[in-house]
Amino acid sequence: MTPTRWVLLFIALAAACAGGLAIGPVPLTLVDVARAVAGQGDPQSVAIVRDLRLARVCLAMIAGAGLGMSGAALQGTLRNALAEPYLLGVSGGAAVGAVLAVVAGLTAAVTLPVAAFAGAAVAVALVLLVARAASGRADPRVLLMAGVVVGAFANAAIMILLAGAGEGAVRNALWWMMGSVAGAEWSAVRWLALYAAIAGVTLVAVARDIDLLALGEDAAAGLGVQVARATRRIFLLAALLAAITVAGAGLIGFVGLVVPAMARALGMRRAREVLLASAVLGATLLVAADVVARTVRSPAELPLGAVTALVGVPFFLVRLRRAT
Amino acid sequence: MHSVDRRPRFHRLACLTALVVSACAAPADRAAPGRAAIAPLVDDFGDTLRLARAATRVVSLNPVVSEAIFALGAQARLVGRTRWDDSPPGMRQVPDLGDGLQPNVEAVIAARPDLVVLYATDANRAAASAFRRAGVATLALRTDRIADFARIVRALGVALDDSVAARQVSDSVARSIQLVAALPAFQPPVSVFWHAWDAPLITIGAGSYLGELVTIAGARNVFADLPQPSPQVTLESVAARRPDFVLAGPRAAERLRANPRWQAVEAVRAGRVLVVDTALIGRPGVRMGEAARSLRALLDSARRAQP
Repeated sequence: MTPTRWVLLFIALAAACAGGLAIGPVPLTLVDVARAVAGQGDPQSVAIVRDLRLARVCLAMIAGAGLGMSGAALQGTLRNALAEPYLLGVSGGAAVGAVLAVVAGLTAAVTLPVAAFAGAAVAVALVLLVARAASGRADPRVLLMAGVVVGAFANAAIMILLAGAGEGAVRNALWWMMGSVAGAEWSAVRWLALYAAIAGVTLVAVARDIDLLALGEDAAAGLGVQVARATRRIFLLAALLAAITVAGAGLIGFVGLVVPAMARALGMRRAREVLLASAVLGATLLVAADVVARTVRSPAELPLGAVTALVGVPFFLVRLRRAT
Repeated sequence: MHSVDRRPRFHRLACLTALVVSACAAPADRAAPGRAAIAPLVDDFGDTLRLARAATRVVSLNPVVSEAIFALGAQARLVGRTRWDDSPPGMRQVPDLGDGLQPNVEAVIAARPDLVVLYATDANRAAASAFRRAGVATLALRTDRIADFARIVRALGVALDDSVAARQVSDSVARSIQLVAALPAFQPPVSVFWHAWDAPLITIGAGSYLGELVTIAGARNVFADLPQPSPQVTLESVAARRPDFVLAGPRAAERLRANPRWQAVEAVRAGRVLVVDTALIGRPGVRMGEAARSLRALLDSARRAQP
C-alpha cells in the first residue's frame, strides 16, 4: 500500500479520536479538548476529557485494534474471509472465562484478561478439535461451523452461570455482554494496552507464517513451516487479542470481520500490512462506533456491540453470498 | 430566604408515622373474616376476583403488599412472601417462597394459599394464569407510584374484609406525605441526581415513585425530563446537568467517591454525595411518609452545611 494511504488511515484515526474527545453531552471545542488534555481549563472539562472521554477513546482503540488484528490473523490462517473471533466462538470462550472470574471474585484489571484468555484458549482448542474430528483436518468451512457451535455452547455456559446469580449481577452481566466502553478506567486501560501491545507485536513478528499458511497447509509445510505449531501459535495470539477486548469492553462482534476486508480493499496483500492496517482501521471503527453509541440516544447509550452488529451483519451477508 | 425548619410539623409527621408503624407491629389479626360476601375486585390485569369469603391464607409476591398486610394487622394470614421482603422485622418469620417476578408457581401453590397477590407486570402474567388454573384466587396489583398505594390498600382491605383498617392506613400515609409536600420549596432551588445502578448507569425519571418523592421533598430531579421510570444515562450527561447533590445508597456512595471517573461530576468533586437509606426509601409502601420526611431532612441538612 502506498504511503499516502497509510497517512490517510492515520488521519481517519486522528479524526475519530478528535470526535471522540470533543463530542458529548458537554460541548467542547478542539481547543477546549487540547487544553483539558494538558490539564488546563475548568476542572469539569479536565475531568470529562481526561477521566471519561480519553479513557474510553483509548479503550475503544485497544479493543478495535485487537479485534481487527485478531480477525486478520484468523482470516489469513484459515483462508476464509468469514472468520473472526466472535463468529469462531473465541469471544464467547473469553466471555465464559471472564464471567467465571467475576463469579469467583477475580475482577482486578490485571487478572480479568488472563481469565478471559484462558476461556478463549479453551474455545480455540475446542474449535480445532471439533473441526478435526468432523473433517479429519482443519477445513476452513468446518472450522467456522465448529466456531458457531462452540460460541453457542459458551452462551449456554454463561446462562447457566447467571441462572443462580442475583438480579443485579444478571443486569451487569447482560450489559457487559452487549459490549460497551462506557466504564473505561485508566487502571484497566493500562493493563489492556500492555497485553495488547505484547500480543500485537508478537503477531506482527510471525506474520510471515500467516502469509505461508495462506498458501495452504501443504504448500506452507513444503516451505518449511511447522504447520500445526504455527497455526496453534497464531490462534493463541488471536485469542489473546480477542480476550483483551472481551475483558475490557465485553462482547463486540463483527469488527474482526469487517476491518481486514477493508484493509484488503485498500490494497493490502501481505499479512504484516493487513495486520497493521486492521489495527488502525479497527481502532478507528470502534472509536467512531462509540461516538455513535453515546450520542444517538443521549443521555442514554446504545450497546456498542449492537452498533457494530448493525454494520457487520449486512457486511457478513454480502460476504457470505460472494463466498458461496 | 424562607426558613425550612419546620420541626413541629416534622414532629406531627413522626407521630403519624408511628401510627402506621404501630399498625405494622400489631400482633393480633384484627380483621374478622367470615362475612358472607366479599365485593368483587378488578385487578390491574383487568381480571375480576370474586372471593366467597375473606382471604385467610395469603401469599404476597410483592414486598409493598406484604408490608401493607402487616400494616393492616393481618400478618397472621400471610403464609408466604418473596425473598426480597425484609420489613417490618416480623416479616422474616413468614416463609420465603423465592422470586416475586416469574415466581416458582409450584412452591406458591404448595403453601396452600386462598389468595395470591402479585405485582402486575407482563413477567407475571403466566404465573397469574397458572395460579387461577390451579384454583387459587389471584390479585395482580401495580405498585409503581404513590397514588397506587391507596388503591392497593383499599383492594387488600376488601380481600381481607377489613376496609376500616385499610382506610386508616391509607389516610395516615397520605397525611404524612402531605405534611412534607406542604413544606416550602428550597430557596435557592436544590437539584439532585439519583444513582440507582452502576453498569449500566441508571437513574430515576419522571415516571417513578422516587421521582415523585424527590419532588415532594422539595428538590428537582435533573433527569425529570425523561419519561421512563428507570432511564439509562451516561456519566457525562450527569456531569453536564450539574446536580447540586448526588443521592446514592451507602455502598454506591462509597464507590462514587473513590472512583476517579465520577470526579467529572461537580457535586462528587465537591463532596456533595448524600447517602440515602435505600431500605426505607426504596419502596412506595407504608413508609412513604417517613421516606419523604427523611429525604427532606437529608437535603435540608446538606444544604445548610454548604458554605
